[in-house]
Amino acid sequence: MPREENRTSFWRTLWVNAIFAPRTSLGFMRVDFVLGTVFIIPFTQMVFFAFVAGLAGNPGSSVAFVVIGNAVATVTYSSIFSVCQTTDSEKQAGTMEHLLVSPANRFALYFGRGLIPILISLATVTVGLSYAVFLFHAPLAPGALVSLAISVVLTSFAMVGFGLFLAGVALYLRTSIILGNIFLFLGLLLSGTNFPLASLPLPLQWAGNLLPLTWAVTAVRASMAGDPLGTLLPLWGLVSASAVASVAVAVVFWETFERRALATGTIARF
Amino acid sequence: MRHAPHAAYSISRSRALLASLRLAVLSFLADPQWLVPSMIAPVIFGLVAYELFLGSGPWFVIYAILGAGMMSMWGQTLYGSGWATGQDRELGTLEPTLSAPTPYLYVVFGRVAWNTVSGLLGGAIVFVVVAVTYGHPLPIVDPVAFALLFAVVIVSLASVGIVLSAAFVYTRYAGFIQNVGEFAFYVGTGCMFPVVLLPFWTTPFALIFPPTWALDALRYQAIPGYHGLPWGFAWDLLGAVVTTSAYLGAAGAVFRRVEHRVLEIGDLSDY
Repeated sequence: MPREENRTSFWRTLWVNAIFAPRTSLGFMRVDFVLGTVFIIPFTQMVFFAFVAGLAGNPGSSVAFVVIGNAVATVTYSSIFSVCQTTDSEKQAGTMEHLLVSPANRFALYFGRGLIPILISLATVTVGLSYAVFLFHAPLAPGALVSLAISVVLTSFAMVGFGLFLAGVALYLRTSIILGNIFLFLGLLLSGTNFPLASLPLPLQWAGNLLPLTWAVTAVRASMAGDPLGTLLPLWGLVSASAVASVAVAVVFWETFERRALATGTIARF
Repeated sequence: MRHAPHAAYSISRSRALLASLRLAVLSFLADPQWLVPSMIAPVIFGLVAYELFLGSGPWFVIYAILGAGMMSMWGQTLYGSGWATGQDRELGTLEPTLSAPTPYLYVVFGRVAWNTVSGLLGGAIVFVVVAVTYGHPLPIVDPVAFALLFAVVIVSLASVGIVLSAAFVYTRYAGFIQNVGEFAFYVGTGCMFPVVLLPFWTTPFALIFPPTWALDALRYQAIPGYHGLPWGFAWDLLGAVVTTSAYLGAAGAVFRRVEHRVLEIGDLSDY
């Protein structure tokens, strides 16, 4: 056991990781990428799907429905794709071994890395929804701003939590790029972003219900529609539950794979 | 004797091209999982478009297939070719490659050749996935013409990939352009909807890109009653050939200019 004064505090680990990870191990964190993720990708993705929806004329997928869904879905760049790269970046840089033998609190170490992505995710969804309302004229109910803000904040936490979960899985893998790509786009199909989830086959609906994005999109749509608190509370509960579950499973993965890495001495290699 | 150096250069260039192609194939075979990232998005976009177009008539499945197929090829040609330059820079091999007697263009050609083939493979996978989901025979009137025009689309995409590869030697923003500009390119070329749906002022910008012409020609051929660019199929096809040739011609000039410039400045190894 290290002496008390030599132990790194929980808060210091959290803060140091929050500050350093965007410069070292997180993906998509250069200033140009961040600005592109916040301002350009939501716009171009929404325009693309708005035109496709407009051409299709499917009554279940109006342009307003599609642009709100995509405004929320673009959060996956900053939350999932960026965050899930943190573990294999460490492997690639050869720093994973040092990390595994450090006494730092694991929750602080990993969750700290998600703090800046949470802020970027907040900005991304906010800008995306602003485009939806002001450029695509998606309806926003009067007095819905507070509930919408709550939904957006919960969405950012839940999606970054899911990114950390994937980073936990990536600890075992050679690269997280495959995982990142899968979940970057899978949400567009399984989360009701572009069409109601009910139009998918039942097994795919079940899979979709396991994604935080599904509940995040539903909560944001309900908030914008001005749904009552009775409708919103269960949705917020589900978004929060998906965030907590993601981080909890991530912690279990980190502990399991760390033990395995220390036992075999091979997992931490790139 | 005067022709000897030229013959030697010619052998050097063809050897460099073949070596680059061989290395691209071997790298792909050593790590074929890289087909997955460039396949996931197009397959998912294809299925999303299919769901959106559901009930809009049998011809709309063609939109889903063409759009997603083009995305796949775009992913392979641009990511594969452009990213290779970025990797050269990151690994420190760009400087020696560019200072070799063989022009860098031939190295890029080798990569683009393989990426075009693997892009075709990706396009075929997208085609199969969407067609199987559709569950009915695809309403393709003339499969041979469809396949030929599809090849024209691929070549038009590859020409854009080559020019961008040259530009990527110049810039450290290749990743930014590829990732952030991806949807803008899909919108600008009308890859899943007729480009005439875009505001009129965007048309000149859309027409700069060869795939805009090639895709419009392909839709004219494949979709009866299609309303695309007002000049119709023949001019679309001519436009595709002219713009693709212009891109391929420009690629050589751009590469020469870029090579001279970067050798003058000497900062290629900076990453």
